[in-house]
Amino acid sequence: MSREPILSVEDLHVWFDLSGGSELHAVQGVSFDLRPGERMGLVGESGCGKTTTILAMMGLLPSSASVAGSVSLDGENIMARGEDTVSPHRWKDIAMVFQGAMNAFNPVKTIGSQIVEPMELHGTATGKAARGQTRELLELVGISGDRVNNYPHEFSGGMRQRAAIALALACEPRVLLADEPTTALDVMVQAQILELLVRLTRDLGLSMILVTHDLPVVAQVCDRAAVMYAGEIVEMGAMSTIYHDPRHPYTRMLFGATPDLLGDADVISIPGAPPRLDREIVGCPFAPRCDSAFAPCATVAPRRMETSPGHEAVCHLNDHVVAKEPA
Amino acid sequence: MEGRADYVVKRTLFALLTVFVAVTINFLLFRALPGDAVSGLRCQHCTIQFKAALRHDLGLDKSKWEQYKIYLKQLAHGNLGLSDVSHEPVRGLLWDPLKNTLLMLTLGTVFSIIFGLLTGVVAAWRRGTWVDKGSLWTSLAFYSMPTQWLGLMIVYFVADRIGLPHGGIQSPDLGILGNPSTYDYWKDRLEHMILPALTLGLVLYGEYTLIVRSAMLETLGEDYVLTARAKGLSNFAIVRKHGLRNAMLPIVTLIALSLGFIVGGAITVEYVFDYPGIGLAIVDAIDKRDYTFLQGAFLLLTISVILFNFLADLLYFKLDPRVTT
Amino acid sequence: MTIDHPLPAAPEQLEELSAEGLGERRTPGFIRSAILTQPAALVGLGVLFFFVFIAIFGSYLEPYSIHDKTGPVYAPPSSAHWLGTDDGGVDMLSLLIAGTRVSMEVGFAAALVAMLIGGAVGVISGFVGGIIDVVLMRITDIFLVIPDIPLMIVMAAIFGRSLRNIIIIIGIIYWTSTARLIRAQVKSVRERVYVKRARSLGATNNRLVFKHVLPQVAPLLIANTVLMVALAVFAETYITFLGLGDPSAISWGRLIENAFLGNAVLNNAWWAIVPPGVCVTIVILACTMVGQSMEDALNPRLKVGHLSVRRFRLRPLGGKLDSE
Repeated sequence: MSREPILSVEDLHVWFDLSGGSELHAVQGVSFDLRPGERMGLVGESGCGKTTTILAMMGLLPSSASVAGSVSLDGENIMARGEDTVSPHRWKDIAMVFQGAMNAFNPVKTIGSQIVEPMELHGTATGKAARGQTRELLELVGISGDRVNNYPHEFSGGMRQRAAIALALACEPRVLLADEPTTALDVMVQAQILELLVRLTRDLGLSMILVTHDLPVVAQVCDRAAVMYAGEIVEMGAMSTIYHDPRHPYTRMLFGATPDLLGDADVISIPGAPPRLDREIVGCPFAPRCDSAFAPCATVAPRRMETSPGHEAVCHLNDHVVAKEPA
Repeated sequence: MEGRADYVVKRTLFALLTVFVAVTINFLLFRALPGDAVSGLRCQHCTIQFKAALRHDLGLDKSKWEQYKIYLKQLAHGNLGLSDVSHEPVRGLLWDPLKNTLLMLTLGTVFSIIFGLLTGVVAAWRRGTWVDKGSLWTSLAFYSMPTQWLGLMIVYFVADRIGLPHGGIQSPDLGILGNPSTYDYWKDRLEHMILPALTLGLVLYGEYTLIVRSAMLETLGEDYVLTARAKGLSNFAIVRKHGLRNAMLPIVTLIALSLGFIVGGAITVEYVFDYPGIGLAIVDAIDKRDYTFLQGAFLLLTISVILFNFLADLLYFKLDPRVTT
Repeated sequence: MTIDHPLPAAPEQLEELSAEGLGERRTPGFIRSAILTQPAALVGLGVLFFFVFIAIFGSYLEPYSIHDKTGPVYAPPSSAHWLGTDDGGVDMLSLLIAGTRVSMEVGFAAALVAMLIGGAVGVISGFVGGIIDVVLMRITDIFLVIPDIPLMIVMAAIFGRSLRNIIIIIGIIYWTSTARLIRAQVKSVRERVYVKRARSLGATNNRLVFKHVLPQVAPLLIANTVLMVALAVFAETYITFLGLGDPSAISWGRLIENAFLGNAVLNNAWWAIVPPGVCVTIVILACTMVGQSMEDALNPRLKVGHLSVRRFRLRPLGGKLDSE
């Protein structure tokens, strides 16, 4: 793809204040580009910083967070002045698909009124027009328009997820950030939701970042994938390359891991746990759990290497590859 | 929607069952007294024969079970018996104090709900700031104070300074120079109501602020608040449209459950301020051992509280579309 | 500040609350560390120990007899009478110390009664389940709705006027919320893996309850009992103030009553009014701080606030890490 990126994240860091004055470095210098029409997967175990990354891009982090780095939309850094510069773009240009199965909808208000809300706030449609659009949106995601006045609890988990997608589309954004949209759904419904996301992004020309702990899901849906571990992107590249030639042991193990059939948690059978992020990490953060770790891993942090064009990984196993560091 | 109709039916049945249990407790408690309504009578013609006849008339010579049935029957006709002291119908004796209490209680409760809601919401919104900490400790302190003591403190330290009466319900000199106008009459009434209502209101204010704050904090942590922020709602709009509406659910329940506390507070406040409401009447009845009156007053209070709890259930039903059982 | 929920939650919330945050089996030191790491809880605990100490050793600390006139009527505070005297010329400080003993006794004893009844109902209801659970909880619900203070007044008017009766009356009226809380907890403990495992290994019900369920429920029960102490101290002042207290016992409630009946206001004797109420307020605050911190530690229910006047901050790159 040769087009200019629509969204470009550069050296994004997020810290959270912990009680007792210490800090947790949740996102440690994440950079990636998203091109128009592209679907990118952001994969990793829970706590690896993937959700924090997209919340930071939306400017939705709580007051205990501090953010550094830039997020550029069409070349304009929307992080430049924090909330002030993000809020005009939020939902209008970049919208988020929340986990509909959870409490993304207010239980005491109708689905329709909650979808109308952002339209009226951003002035994309008001009154009758907004209600008409809401019905169309619901139809678009496969829900009968007659159900606009239903309450969230009257929807099944799958329908709530569809409604959450409709909500994200309310102001006709160009970028969708989808946060675990299929978690807590059964396998059949999962497949339908993924299919819907693919269809919508293709038909409406949207770009999408899909955040999930499930690498096989990314493989089905996305053109490109970024694997996150301990707040960093440890491997990134075209989906087919990563699938056939993973250059980080973690990626390889993620492919090998079988997700829980009940689909309700990050049950991944990689032994061990990720490192704590409130203290400095020496060497490669994955080394203690790695099956291929060797001498330098414990002491020297691996560098980011481009193993082939557009494919980069952060692992000492690639040290022999005589390649340049990505700019 | 059938499930929702079931809810109303169930809550109604539960309220009725609770009333029935309260009535039964009332009967049993007062039958546990030594002697009966007749044995305490002292009068010239109160011979043993006369007492026996009276017992027969009142059904006191029958078995407890028969007496219970008689009691229920009398209650069904709204008959609460005769006062042991003045021998007037208790129902009539309750009426005036009830009006006075309701006025004062409404004033105090409305005050505390309005200010409790405001402070609680602002505290939750500004969580962790000095506004939050200050209001949290203030309300905790008021919540911890014995009502009667706060009343005494207000009488001692506040009443004279702001020139409000702190005893009775009417100035003794009102109407000496001819009939007071309606305006003067009610102004005087209101002035007498303010301090007792304020005392009660402050204690309740503490409680309500704590309830509202914790309910709001819980609500503001919900996922849909994040959604609302993402959609672009302002802080104020989030609190109004998504926070308060949802926090009202636990608030309604908890305020309903605190009604016993409100009623208890009203009793001591009326005693401290010599305000002639139900509470003062109860204290008086305790003093004179007028158990029939006490029984009637307790029943009245209990049924009112059950009624308000039932109303709170209905309100909850209206607020929460999810309620089905 | 840790006291985020100083009030008992509504019954249906209690069920949800205690079902979460209990994934693992708690170690015995849990409560201790929960209290020791929270300043509010530590302060509260210190205050409670202070008053318990006064209650136990009070008779050695009273400067004067509480039965004799040792000064003029309503004498203001002086070096001889630090807190002045009351309407009978009795030393206020001695009365306050004597009152501590009775108020703490009523508070702790009544809370214990409530804990025993509520704990028993909760454990039986939660552990046995089925129809017994339904019946017990229906009864609990009914008693939750019947206004507690009026019921207490009526019972005290009929049976009261002795400390023992007052303790029992307060105890049997305040057990309901404990029962609800404990039931929810027991239900979740019962479902936990190790109890199931113990059962499949053939443990009897008695053994299950005493070896597995009770130790897990105990911390919450203790936290709840501490909160109950506050309610009971409060209730005692109510009952006594209305003239239903034990005529022979000097309690804080009795001192407030004395100040009221003895016209302390007219005599400008603030020293007869202020101290007993301050003591009640402080003890109730302390109980709330301790009990609430414990409950909060046991039921971590506050999630991150998504709404705040303050938003995330921006940080220049590189600067912060160096300054750490």
